[in-house]
Amino acid sequence: MRIKINTKEYEAKDGEMILDVCRRNGIQVPTLCSIPKFHEGVCRICMVENGGRLTTSCNVKASEGMEVVTESEDVSKARRINLELLWADHAGKCSTCKKNQRCELQNLAISQKIENFHFVPRKEEMTDSENLDLLKDNRSRVVVDDGNACLTRTTELCVECRRCINVCPTKELSFNHRAGDTVVGTAYEKSLDCIFCGQCVKNCPTGAITDKNDLTKIMIDLADLKKMAIALIDPAVLESVAFEHPEIDSRGKLISALKGIGFEKVFDLGFGMELALENMTQEIKKSSKNNLLLNHCPSFNLFVKKYYPQFAKNILTVAHPDELTADFLKTEFAKKEKINSEDLVVISLSSCVAKKKEKGKNLDYVITVRELGRIIRQKNLKLKDIKESDFSSGLAVKDEKIKSITRTGGMAEMLAKKLKVKYIVADGVSQIKNILRDLEKGRVETKIIEAMVCEGGCVNGGGQARKL
Amino acid sequence: MKKETKIITKNWGQIDPNEIDDSIEVGGYQALEKFIHKMTPVLALEEIKLSGLCGRGGAGFPTGMKLESVQKEKSKEKYFICNLDESEPGTYKDRSIVDNDPHMLLEGVIIESLIVGARKAFVYVNGNYQRQIEILQRAVEQAQEKRILGEKILGSRYSLEVEIFAGAGAYICGEETALINSIEGNRGEPKSRPPFPTQVGLFGKPTAVNNAETVANIPWIISNGGKKYAAIGSKKSAGTKLFIVNGSVKNPDVFEAPLGTKLSDLIEKYAGGMQKGKNFWFAQVGGSSGRLVLEKDLVRKLEYDREAKVPLGSGAILVVDKTVDIHELLLSWMSFFHRESCGKCVPCREGTFRLWEIAKRLQDGQVSERDVAAIKDILWTLSNTTFCPLGKFAATAFGDAISNFQKEIYKLSR
Ligand SMILES: Cc1cc2nc3c(=O)[nH]c(=O)nc-3n(C[C@H](O)[C@H](O)[C@H](O)COP(=O)(O)O)c2cc1C
Ligand code: SF4
Ligand code: SF4
Ligand code: SF4
Ligand code: FES
Repeated sequence: MRIKINTKEYEAKDGEMILDVCRRNGIQVPTLCSIPKFHEGVCRICMVENGGRLTTSCNVKASEGMEVVTESEDVSKARRINLELLWADHAGKCSTCKKNQRCELQNLAISQKIENFHFVPRKEEMTDSENLDLLKDNRSRVVVDDGNACLTRTTELCVECRRCINVCPTKELSFNHRAGDTVVGTAYEKSLDCIFCGQCVKNCPTGAITDKNDLTKIMIDLADLKKMAIALIDPAVLESVAFEHPEIDSRGKLISALKGIGFEKVFDLGFGMELALENMTQEIKKSSKNNLLLNHCPSFNLFVKKYYPQFAKNILTVAHPDELTADFLKTEFAKKEKINSEDLVVISLSSCVAKKKEKGKNLDYVITVRELGRIIRQKNLKLKDIKESDFSSGLAVKDEKIKSITRTGGMAEMLAKKLKVKYIVADGVSQIKNILRDLEKGRVETKIIEAMVCEGGCVNGGGQARKL
Repeated sequence: MKKETKIITKNWGQIDPNEIDDSIEVGGYQALEKFIHKMTPVLALEEIKLSGLCGRGGAGFPTGMKLESVQKEKSKEKYFICNLDESEPGTYKDRSIVDNDPHMLLEGVIIESLIVGARKAFVYVNGNYQRQIEILQRAVEQAQEKRILGEKILGSRYSLEVEIFAGAGAYICGEETALINSIEGNRGEPKSRPPFPTQVGLFGKPTAVNNAETVANIPWIISNGGKKYAAIGSKKSAGTKLFIVNGSVKNPDVFEAPLGTKLSDLIEKYAGGMQKGKNFWFAQVGGSSGRLVLEKDLVRKLEYDREAKVPLGSGAILVVDKTVDIHELLLSWMSFFHRESCGKCVPCREGTFRLWEIAKRLQDGQVSERDVAAIKDILWTLSNTTFCPLGKFAATAFGDAISNFQKEIYKLSR
């Protein structure tokens, strides 16, 4: 079908939203709540005119003969007022926020040129005495949840866009309370106890859900001359570092950037992946059991333990590649380099958020791509003319093929080839649920089962940066 | 009110709402018998279309058209819902129907359900209406005993189950998609449409939702024919309507009057005129979401008409006299809306909150320049950008007050 946007006619496919047609043709429309597959239509920022009437574009299907105008006085007025209202409900502590410069709300305020704020912020502590008076009863409820190893939630910065609610595979989050009291939270505001896939962190447009880590301590370690900081690069992160910093568009440049912020050595996690594959091979060979559950997705392990504890005994016990590498570094490597293992700081740059929870003692930190971005910004590292570097020597990867395990099915395929066994693969939580249900009913008989919580595998992990 | 046609109130005060036999004695369920023995769903629908009946829940959508689209749907599973959420302050017409003649309502529910082909119907009742919930439950039980409800109604091939569903007393749950969410066990908030409930409604099935007063008109139409109904009321708008006249009148009450009755007549003839010593200032027509009507517009007819300057809404009329403090009214409207916004979309959640905040400052005479600008912006965004009509409702009366009584409202401000 044909629809008119501004002055030109465009082809629209059946079921396509107005926004999709605009984007496909390079017409800019600002959005906040909408993400692929989920169009809640709640932020009311993506307004356009359709036949002279204001409408949202993200959740309204294109239809034959539509006449859409994406910029007009009313359109910008609508966007401005709704953004201002939203901004006033937001703590706006940008300078100390983890998402500073990577915040979609901030970007919108800039792109829509929001300059005047008519409303008294109600999630901020005010100093101005007049404003303090106004603020007496306009405080809104703020819930902070810091009770886990992976992520921090604070509703102070939440814009109620519902992205986290929509992307969460186990439906941990929802709207609590009503009207101006609405907050996004868990049932009964219990501390989050989920499978920590990190998809909510990845999709949150603001600093309301962020990675948890002691970055200050990491920064001190990186600066400490007595210590040797070692970075491990999970190959999956190469899919998204450029979203965080467009200048880092290759592995070589990533290695340079890591060295630039204070890492002395940078190794390929492929080394540990090969160890893990070997360990898995041995464990499977030794086991007489069927339906063994591969354990390289920490979120999946958590899922089984939480929802299907009867199968916890089927989960393999092999340590993660990051942990195996760290073990090697703190023992053999340290000996060879004549360094006290306490002076080694091993940090894994990962696309996985749940790994923070399953971290062992030799691996000091797991950081996500977003956290790397923050460190680079805080260190003010200049990336403009960054050169390529190579991995440090010492930890060789025998076969690059190992990196296929960052995609769903990769690990199971390699194992099956080596061991000549049957396998099943589950991609994403809905497939996982189906397989475990079948397992419960005794309808599955195979040797190994691989399951990845993030659809597509670690390349789409919760620790990846999003393209803004 | 002497020789006026009475449709909904014809049995009021004459029967015991807890006794089905009382109702039957005055002709209750005769329309149902006629429908079952002498009509088909298609014929009955014809009568409703002929009658010109429009929804009494506020929007005035032609009832026949709505029922027709559900009747036409091929699905085996369909639902009928009677909307008795009624939760605007000062509106109690649907409650009065239950209090006075619950079987007329139930009869309407049964006939409409059978017309659209539903085997299950819900009456969604405001959770604060405890007494009415009990009355309705008893009515359903008694109807079941008489085989007016349940399997093989009155020995026919029709079957129907009616469930009285107690809501949580949220205003937004009166909006039909939020109501459907609520019955489904979801958060009470509107869904986007299309698809419309008539195609994808309760549990994803075609569903007709009608206001309780709309439903109560059905038995009369079936008994007396659509043509006769269409002759009542005005040219544009057929039948009678329950009006609630509240505020500074002598005799505040719920009245049944033909559509097209003048506002001045409702106040003078039905509600006994202004209270002694009180002078008319303005009237709010249509409940909390209604517009303000000044003296010069009192001669307007109240009817369902898309172009009407004063939409009729639910039919509640608040008469305000000159001693009333406009600031208090502003605050009471915004107290209501900022509490009842579901919180889903930004302009309504934040906008109603901000207007409430400013209304408090207006009352204290503390309003600043930036508030004056903010009021304008918020009213505009509420009227033009919200997810569901509640946002627009919240801006209607407040906006009218600001444009008509600017002097009075801002006079205290510095
Ligand atoms: C915010 C909001 C509140 C509403 N509340 C009610 C209500 O309490 N009762 C009602 O019958 N309709 C209410 N409606 C209208 C319903 O959505 C729906 O249009 C109506 O029940 C249809 O019935 P009718 O065609 O018989 O009028 C409300 C609509 C909105 C937007
Ligand atoms: S980390 Fe994953 S499972 Fe946990 S709340 Fe976020 S999206 Fe849901
Ligand atoms: S926590 Fe983040 S993703 Fe979730 S609703 Fe709030 S702003 Fe949106
Ligand atoms: S306008 Fe928005 S916030 Fe208000 S009731 Fe409707 S959906 Fe909810
Ligand atoms: S992006 Fe369309 S309403 Fe939020």
